[in-house]
Amino acid sequence: MDWNPPGEPRILSYMSDAGMWAPVLDVEGLEKTYGDVRAVQGLTFQVAPGEVLGLVGPNGAGKTTTLRCLAGILPPTRGRVRVAGHDLASEQVRAKHALAFLPDEPRLFEYLTVWEHLNFVARLYGVADWEERARALLDEMELAGKEKALPGELSRGMKQKLSIACGFLHSPRLIILDEPLTGLDPLAIRRMKASLRQRAEAGTALVLSSHLLPLVEELCHRILVIAGGRAVALGTLADIRAQLSGPDGSAASLEDLFIRITSAPPEPRPEREAP
Amino acid sequence: MSFPRAVTFLWLASARNRVLRQLQRLRQPKYLVGAVVGGLYLYSAFVRPLIYRGQGGVAPPGAQLVSQLFLVGGMLFTMLSAWALGPDRPSLSFNETEVQQFFPAPVSRRGLLHYKLARGLVGAAMGAFVATVFGSRMLSGQPILFFLGATLTLSTVHLHVTAASFVRTRLARYGGTGTALRWGALTAVSTLMIIAALSVLREHPLPTELNHPRQLQTLLASLMDSPALWPGRLLVALPLAPDVASFLRTLPLGLGLFAVHYVWVMRAAVPFEEAAVVRAEERARLQERLSREGGQATFLRVRPAYFQLAPTGRPEVAILWKNLVAGRRLGGAGRLLAAGLVGGVVAAVASGRGMSEALDNVRLFMAPLCAGLAGVLCVFGPSALRYDLRMDLPRLEQLRALPLTGRQVVAAELAAPALLLGVTQVGLVLLAMVMAVWQGGTYTELWVTAGLGALCVLPAVSLGGLFVQNAAVVLFPAWLQPEGERVRGLEALGQRLLTLVGTLVALLVGMLPAVLLAALVGFGLNLLLDLGVWALPFAGAAAAAVLVAEVALGVVGLGHAFDRLDVSTEGTGTAA
Repeated sequence: MDWNPPGEPRILSYMSDAGMWAPVLDVEGLEKTYGDVRAVQGLTFQVAPGEVLGLVGPNGAGKTTTLRCLAGILPPTRGRVRVAGHDLASEQVRAKHALAFLPDEPRLFEYLTVWEHLNFVARLYGVADWEERARALLDEMELAGKEKALPGELSRGMKQKLSIACGFLHSPRLIILDEPLTGLDPLAIRRMKASLRQRAEAGTALVLSSHLLPLVEELCHRILVIAGGRAVALGTLADIRAQLSGPDGSAASLEDLFIRITSAPPEPRPEREAP
Repeated sequence: MSFPRAVTFLWLASARNRVLRQLQRLRQPKYLVGAVVGGLYLYSAFVRPLIYRGQGGVAPPGAQLVSQLFLVGGMLFTMLSAWALGPDRPSLSFNETEVQQFFPAPVSRRGLLHYKLARGLVGAAMGAFVATVFGSRMLSGQPILFFLGATLTLSTVHLHVTAASFVRTRLARYGGTGTALRWGALTAVSTLMIIAALSVLREHPLPTELNHPRQLQTLLASLMDSPALWPGRLLVALPLAPDVASFLRTLPLGLGLFAVHYVWVMRAAVPFEEAAVVRAEERARLQERLSREGGQATFLRVRPAYFQLAPTGRPEVAILWKNLVAGRRLGGAGRLLAAGLVGGVVAAVASGRGMSEALDNVRLFMAPLCAGLAGVLCVFGPSALRYDLRMDLPRLEQLRALPLTGRQVVAAELAAPALLLGVTQVGLVLLAMVMAVWQGGTYTELWVTAGLGALCVLPAVSLGGLFVQNAAVVLFPAWLQPEGERVRGLEALGQRLLTLVGTLVALLVGMLPAVLLAALVGFGLNLLLDLGVWALPFAGAAAAAVLVAEVALGVVGLGHAFDRLDVSTEGTGTAA
């Protein structure tokens, strides 16, 4: 599949095994409540193979909760999430097999070396040719030579790279990234952007949450803006720009649009704000 | 807002928020039950005896005297160790938040010092409260006076420790001379105390045999009165005051000591910011390690894994492999066990005269020692070996994201400690059997048959214990210790009690069918086939099969609970 420049109209569905056009991620009416707090409300969207969806919103908007629901970490209160055609509630193992979740804070096992982390992940996902892939990933992440190092011997950025390498090892069809560039130096950020772009070109769907709006603008085909747990805008940057800026705002940046969208007076809500 | 008002607001708001958070958690019935159990326990064990003290609730004089002696000794040891142990730097410790918030704030060093002293005062009051609830019965007949006096005494000791660290920092600037001066003074004080203690022992030698408890009481009383403990007696005079009049008479002394120490701290104060930053960073690093290692901060050495992990096959084996690696690299329990065995061998050899007798002793002692250790592991092993869900508690989110069902995760997490415990127990039982056969005698056959039965039963009992411990992680994650922190509160106390009692009850209830079946099989085989003691291995195998089946059923149930577990509602560090 060719890499479509962000902002260009895209085909959002692909042929499934059954001959139907199917998205990699299909979210329908997703809702998550904590007691009487509605953190996520009625999110519905799809992500196609090779598409990069940016998830943006102010702090406490429900981005991380949404990503955790998509990754199967938190059970949704209502709604349905399908990954690669598998329902995350009823076919969780198949669905999770097709995805990788990369949190902003890498959580590594202090007692496993870099190489053993990859070995562990390989067994979990049944990656027969893992050694070859692992070497390539360590080269890509500039971790070659650190195979025998324990996480305690790695810098914050290196840990983040190892976490990313573990996520990429089984070539998931969907990668969910929560602030993926945290802790990386400028060179690593450039490499990571190229790596994500390359994976999208190869057909992997990506859902990416970040406060770095230029990154979102540069990488993402479509953007989902959420505030107070609700989707307030969904579409390409051009769509959102056209929808919100009016005729004189065609050159508005994502930052301008973001501020305009999220600073709009909220709809009256009986519930408390999400934590 | 002035600094003292800001600090007061901070403390009050923090306390209120902590209480509110605990109250919010009580909305979930499981935590409410814990709070009720914890409250009842505290009331019945400590509060009720305090209320009904007049009805003969005070400890006997002898026990009181021993407790008071320990109290005085403890105070003296704390004060002396402030001069002898630890580095030569100010002992004031700030956490990272305090460093970030207070150090750049427009607050003088004197203000910061007062802040820490006030915190010390609050800490002393809390310590005094705990001591009153848990220990005043042993120490004094007046809980309120004890609390007031202990607060003042502990505050004075806190000031002494702070002042000592300041003086040590000043002395350290003089290099070797300062160190020599400090150790010279310490040696002189220690020598005087030892001389005073020896003189007491000369006057009241230790009785060769106790004809009457009064003899010991007299000795303890004379020790308490000795000049060796004079500084300690001064400190504890206030909390140990027997009545109000005596308390009021002693109060000026207590207040005077406190005031003198306060003046000493203020005059001896040295710049402490640098040391405080270093300590804060050290604490933060430790906290981070605790968090990442699931509550264990251990020096890590990369040792080879027990086996090579193939990339394909059952995925849950990856978790077993990971936890075995953790056991190999983090574990220290094995060394303790080995030390116990070596100690047993050494003791057996040392108690014999000549090689032949030493070997006899080894045979005689080692069989019961090994069997005893294997049995003890059933009780303590599941608590000590935590390479399972308890270790992975800070990573529950990661586990939830793995392509495994809850049942697979629970089973795989249980497998590593069960395997380590099981192999150890089997090894110990085999060793006991070998020793018993080597020893020979009437009971050899019993040793062998009981050993064969134990080979099955003991690992199965350990597995049951591990299952109960891991069930607590899935069912009550907020009560366990996330991020290396200790969960506090009444309901946490109740949870610990419930876990303890629950472990015992669950084990006993779980073992009941196993014991019944084992008895049925054992007696049945004996009656039908006249197997005698050789029915024991069959009985053991039957009991083990029941236990394993129960755990298997439990894993299925716990797996469902794990799948339904919503880490975000538990209020633990597992959900950010």
